[in-house]
Amino acid sequence: MTEVMTREQRCGLLAEAETEELVALADECLTDGVPLRVLSGPEVGVIAAQVREPVLAERFLLGDVLACRAEVELAGHRGWSIRMGDDRAATLAAAVLDAEVQGARPRSARVEQLCREVARRRAERDAAEWAELAPTIVEFEELT
Amino acid sequence: MGYSGARGGLEAILAAEDLVRRARDQADAPWAPTGQITARFRLAVDRVMGEGGIYHEPTAAAALRQAEGDPLEASHLVRAHRTTLPRLAVSEPTDPDEMIVLRRIVPAYRAPEGPQLLGRTTDYTGRLLEQPADRPEPQPREPRDVRERTEGQRRPGRFLDLLRKLDLVTDQRRRDDPEPVDITRKPPRPPAARSAVLSSMARAETGGLVAMWYRSILGPDGHVHEVTMGEIRHGRLPLRVRHPHTGNPVDVGEFRVTEAEAIENLDGPDEDRTKLDVGYGLCFGHNERKAIAMASMDIANRRFGRSGPLEQLLLLTVDGLDSAGFLEHLKLPHYVTFRSIVERKQAMRVVAETSAVPAVRLADQFAKEF
Repeated sequence: MTEVMTREQRCGLLAEAETEELVALADECLTDGVPLRVLSGPEVGVIAAQVREPVLAERFLLGDVLACRAEVELAGHRGWSIRMGDDRAATLAAAVLDAEVQGARPRSARVEQLCREVARRRAERDAAEWAELAPTIVEFEELT
Repeated sequence: MGYSGARGGLEAILAAEDLVRRARDQADAPWAPTGQITARFRLAVDRVMGEGGIYHEPTAAAALRQAEGDPLEASHLVRAHRTTLPRLAVSEPTDPDEMIVLRRIVPAYRAPEGPQLLGRTTDYTGRLLEQPADRPEPQPREPRDVRERTEGQRRPGRFLDLLRKLDLVTDQRRRDDPEPVDITRKPPRPPAARSAVLSSMARAETGGLVAMWYRSILGPDGHVHEVTMGEIRHGRLPLRVRHPHTGNPVDVGEFRVTEAEAIENLDGPDEDRTKLDVGYGLCFGHNERKAIAMASMDIANRRFGRSGPLEQLLLLTVDGLDSAGFLEHLKLPHYVTFRSIVERKQAMRVVAETSAVPAVRLADQFAKEF
């Protein structure tokens, strides 16, 4: 991912990053004493998973997915995060990192670097997964 | 316990609960951490996520541990936990065609678009009980040269689309877009929108839904006829919400689901007998039995749901918490209920003994009690 990252892409990748790396980088962002206001959360709740089924193209609610949400204001710039699961520290840190980039603050590049690292790991996992799955492709013979 | 007519017994109840806790938590065996349960009992975890209605493996694993491995009790714990949680958002409608498949088979057709991918399964091998004393040694594996996954392998074309191209399936796609019914806010009652029935089946107790499906095939109902499975998939779907600042969609993660399409041969007097129709099943986690039963019952419900009791049965009887909850309440004291039954019998006996009516009741053709 070398092209400019959208805010939505960044939020999606931060939602997948490890807790330790998010918290460490968020702590760094706050070392210059920048004022941080937590606007909401981090709050654990659910996201109702809505699906549009392919037969009649009707929507239905499949169930709920556990998630955590936070919103902050950092130097006057709002940051937002929502992650699957119940990791409050990671969610709050991700919101701080989102605000860091929104405010074009000193560690914006580091945040985007972290996002690219998450994307790289995702691609690596995808390749490893396929290496396991591909040998199970089957071509049954039809009896005639 | 409104009508159980009993009170007291607190010390005995606490002692009984303590027996459960001590035997479970202090058993002479290594503690089963959450990771152990999610890694080694994934199908039980997936079942609890589906029946409990919350996708979160560690929560389901903790519930299974607390419930001593009882999936229904675990689902109950998960549902109760859910009531303590706020709803943060409703996701954008997910298109199942976006699923990244981990397993995909098309039993109806040998060469569908995209691979027949067996994935992680023992469906095609004989299974005998293995009782290893310890963790089995890993089997040596030959390194394989695997090419990069193509888009067609990642998200294969849907078999239903092929049937549509061949004009073999009735096209009942809706032009309107009704809001889905939220059965967690309002219990569905017949007549209900299809979205309510699909949600009810997605949260149904797996055994209950499979039993209803089997009764529909072999039992007196006959709601399922020449069913053949189209797609059966296990894979990951994106969870997508609107960013509150930009209004654009954000993929915040993925959740695993099992999907099934059941193809039914239309043969009713008012149906187009030159066509097929398709039922749809989707549930959290890896639970093929449930998805297949759901797909079959979806098409059965669309054909026969209102002409008989089927819709009512799907809405009101397949939820494990409902059915097992009612069953389990029978274990609570029913002293007053039963005493009233006995007293009625005794009163009838007195009447019989003091009247001309014979004391021993003979079977009467009108099946009336005196």
